[in-house]
Amino acid sequence: MRGIHVYILIAAAILLLVSANGMNQYWMHVSIMAMVYSILTSSWSLLAGYAGLFSLGHMAFASIGGYTSALLVEWFGIPIALGMVAGIAVCCLLGAFIGWVCLRMSGPYLAIFTLGFSEIVRITFSTEDDVTGGMAGLHTKPIFEDASRLPYFYTAFVLLAVSLALMGLLVRSRWGLFLRALREDEQAAAASGVAVARFRILAFAIASGFAGLAGGFYAHYIGVLTPGIGALDYMALLVVMTVIGGMERLPTAVGGAIVVEFLLEILRGYGQWRLPLFGIILLLTMRFARNGLLTPLWIRFVRLGEGRIAAAPAVAEVQREDSRA
Amino acid sequence: MRIKGRWHAAAGFALLVGGFVILPAQFTQAYAQDTIRIGWVGPLSPPGGYAEGALMKQAAELAADEINAKGGLLGKKIEMFYEDTRGQPEEGTAAAERLVSQDHVVAITGEFHSSVFLAEMEVVHKAGIPIIAVDVWANKITAKGYPEVFRVAPCQALIASKYGEWIAAAGFKNVAVLWEKTDGGQSAKDVLLPILDQHHVKHDEVGADPNSTEFTAEIERLKSHNPPYDFFMTEFSEAGAYPLITQSYQQGFAPSAHTGIANSGGPAVDETFWENVKDAGKYVVTENVGLPKNAWNEITKSFNAAFKKKYTKEPSPQAVENYDAMLVLADAIKRAKSTDGKAIIAALEKTKMLAGRGEYSFSTAHEPDWAYHQFMGAPVGLIQYDKTGQSPDDAPIVWPRNISDVKYTYNKPAK
Amino acid sequence: MSWDYLFIQVMNGLVVGVIYAMIAIGVTLIFSILKIVNFAHGDLYMLGGYCAYFIIKLLGFPPVLAMVAAMAVLFVLAIILERLLLTPLYSDATERKDEYGLIVTFGLAFFLRNAAIIAFGPFPLKPPSFVEGITEFGDLRVTNDRIFAAGVGILLILALLYFMHRTLWGQALDAVSQSRDSAAIVGINPRRFNSLAFGVGAALAAAAGALIAPIFSLAPDMGVLANINAYVIVILGGMGSVVGSALGGIFIGEAESLFTAFFPDPTRAFAYTNAFGVLVLMLVLIYRPTGLFGRRHLRME
Repeated sequence: MRGIHVYILIAAAILLLVSANGMNQYWMHVSIMAMVYSILTSSWSLLAGYAGLFSLGHMAFASIGGYTSALLVEWFGIPIALGMVAGIAVCCLLGAFIGWVCLRMSGPYLAIFTLGFSEIVRITFSTEDDVTGGMAGLHTKPIFEDASRLPYFYTAFVLLAVSLALMGLLVRSRWGLFLRALREDEQAAAASGVAVARFRILAFAIASGFAGLAGGFYAHYIGVLTPGIGALDYMALLVVMTVIGGMERLPTAVGGAIVVEFLLEILRGYGQWRLPLFGIILLLTMRFARNGLLTPLWIRFVRLGEGRIAAAPAVAEVQREDSRA
Repeated sequence: MRIKGRWHAAAGFALLVGGFVILPAQFTQAYAQDTIRIGWVGPLSPPGGYAEGALMKQAAELAADEINAKGGLLGKKIEMFYEDTRGQPEEGTAAAERLVSQDHVVAITGEFHSSVFLAEMEVVHKAGIPIIAVDVWANKITAKGYPEVFRVAPCQALIASKYGEWIAAAGFKNVAVLWEKTDGGQSAKDVLLPILDQHHVKHDEVGADPNSTEFTAEIERLKSHNPPYDFFMTEFSEAGAYPLITQSYQQGFAPSAHTGIANSGGPAVDETFWENVKDAGKYVVTENVGLPKNAWNEITKSFNAAFKKKYTKEPSPQAVENYDAMLVLADAIKRAKSTDGKAIIAALEKTKMLAGRGEYSFSTAHEPDWAYHQFMGAPVGLIQYDKTGQSPDDAPIVWPRNISDVKYTYNKPAK
Repeated sequence: MSWDYLFIQVMNGLVVGVIYAMIAIGVTLIFSILKIVNFAHGDLYMLGGYCAYFIIKLLGFPPVLAMVAAMAVLFVLAIILERLLLTPLYSDATERKDEYGLIVTFGLAFFLRNAAIIAFGPFPLKPPSFVEGITEFGDLRVTNDRIFAAGVGILLILALLYFMHRTLWGQALDAVSQSRDSAAIVGINPRRFNSLAFGVGAALAAAAGALIAPIFSLAPDMGVLANINAYVIVILGGMGSVVGSALGGIFIGEAESLFTAFFPDPTRAFAYTNAFGVLVLMLVLIYRPTGLFGRRHLRME
């Protein structure tokens, strides 16, 4: 049947939630981080994979979301949920602003500009340590005063599911189509009537909002927040995850985050070799499998239910025609 | 795809997804009960201080090897588990979780970044596993009062305060403080400045990016300040400390007849110090968190020799701290005759043993709040080099006065 | 503020600026020929520095010779990397070449940076000076290494300019940068010149690395700041303009020096210096998305 992959995914999700209780705390933590990264990679793929905007400022937004939420909660005692919402709002607005500022920039210029933005954010957070706690770390209020990580696990899962659902809706809509058009050929898109400016700003706003969400959750989960999370090393990891998975679609971006995060942990025994190893995998992926390593797998997964409705009959027809001629 | 292929693929995917889901839960391997598992945490790659972390890890390795060579603990060998925390709190959480839930260690030592340790100690606190903080100086760490946390390093209250008192006693009146924007630099500054205020010493502070290597413009600015600074206090632990000192000297700022200089954070006692700064290092004041050479005991000497032999490097003070932490831990486990968390903690509290940095014991007082489980006798001496190429162990000790071996409090350069 | 103070800061900024310029020129050269921004350039600079260090240490070469040797090594290495990773840029089958160049060089930087820690160890290393000692110009004291670095840097930049404008190969390079197809038509092999451009850019970066090593010491992540400064300069001076990058480098060197010197809040001046360069960059990009003096952004397609 068509769409069987959806049922498989739902079944897997249910299985995951049910068996979560039995997981040990370490793997639960790894899974939670994988989910946080998934929100980050999928929202980044919206920018880079769909709209073709290679922004290096994504983690800066995550850190802005984190600090906004943490500081507002600390100063005004508002509930964490509200703090996170505030963080998302700030990121959306700031993201839209950056998107607007970058309107006439393309490709590498955009990358450099957003890199600059990310550095300014990091340096500011680090220098204004009276406010942000700087590198000594800001103590954040945890979401759950609980010994176990289980409630965080469920929360992260819900956040990820909701994020993917929202982003998925966007991507499947006409807006998604317009975003894709931007990446392929912006001038052609404009000529076809796509409001390029509006969609670039929109893409930035939405993606940055999700980054802020991830950052806010991260801040209240780990309990200590430093400006280091906005550093280039983390952004680089994000790029590695998304590109290896497949930056052109949400599921492969998520897959990339999960696979890389788990592999990083599984390979902990190899110590410092983990990171250069992923660097090489990234290079190989770009060179030989540019769409990402998980993309072919995902495409097959999606086509599971389609049986012979695929191109086969048409091809067979044409072959028969040719042989007759 | 043909029908059979479809079902194969479906089964395959279900297995894959299910595997990812179920398998980790089963990762609780049936571990061999015949080793004693000890964890180590610290930075081994950026953005963490990987240079210091590497030395700490080596010292821990050395300690583990020595203990095993003598027959191990409670009849079993020690098995070490090293985790790279990269200077990031989230990595600290992951590393601690892995050590506790996955590798089932009975205790942990290590860490070089306070912000990371704060994340780690939450994990071990929930699990009741003891952790010995090796080189993290934030007061908060022991002030929080977790029974699982012990610290062998001095804390900021002990170190920066020594600098503050010394600066006042040496007669300086106008200090420029350059601090690196890391947890260490920041907390040092936060402790030092109020003490300077107490002694009515004027001060100005400048924050610096830890990756900086070019300080020329800043030094010129400090040089031109009116009234001129008579002391340049640098809290800088990264590679940039070397160019900082070198440039300060070459530009005629400090050390010089009119302005003294100190560097806190570690680089000034590292082996590579003299190779990098050469003559600029003469007259530099720095801290030695080890025992002064004339107070070295047998353990200090043998560790020094063994470390140099195995790694062809001088051990850093952090390395000595980590070595001692391992010894202290081993001693506690032996006395507790058990690997149960609470038992080890109880044994640690009663520690009274000699190791590389002196006679170890941990306070159980809660006043001041950072004293809890702190090694109060942690040696902190301020030394001032008086010869180029001098080893930190040979340098004259200028503070505190009761262990000082020279008459002067500050040796002013001639020009 | 006294004139002396100003003069000193300006002189210091000049020296640093020349070094920045050398790195930036490499980036701009690579951009003008290969049409990609090399995100790994700072790491090539880092490798050059380490290479010179090890050549001195292990082979006993004198520092100047080691610098030349390091330039040669990086030249060859760069060509190998270009052949391995960048050839898809020349094939029509590759879509979105900008993006490809970005991600590939980004990944290369990631790999080099982390591999360097493992290969060279995390401790800062310092090779012996080119010229020992300090020279005094009145109140201004400059180490001879800095003077040497600035001098050699200027020489190399001038040599490159001469090469590009007066020699046959240099002019061919210029032709390729203007139009690959036209160059191909008149018999110039673009592929060879791509490799050449990448190699020359890397060699220049290697020289910069070797020159500053005795001044600032070597560390595996020294390429990070260098990268950011390089982009700032290249965009200011205009992508593709060697002269622009040279001037831009000096400008940024001065700007950083003067910012630290004169920014009213002394506590924050130094910390924000790096941010200042970046801020200038961002402002320039906002008002002129193709850089101050750049030609209109040339794409490969």
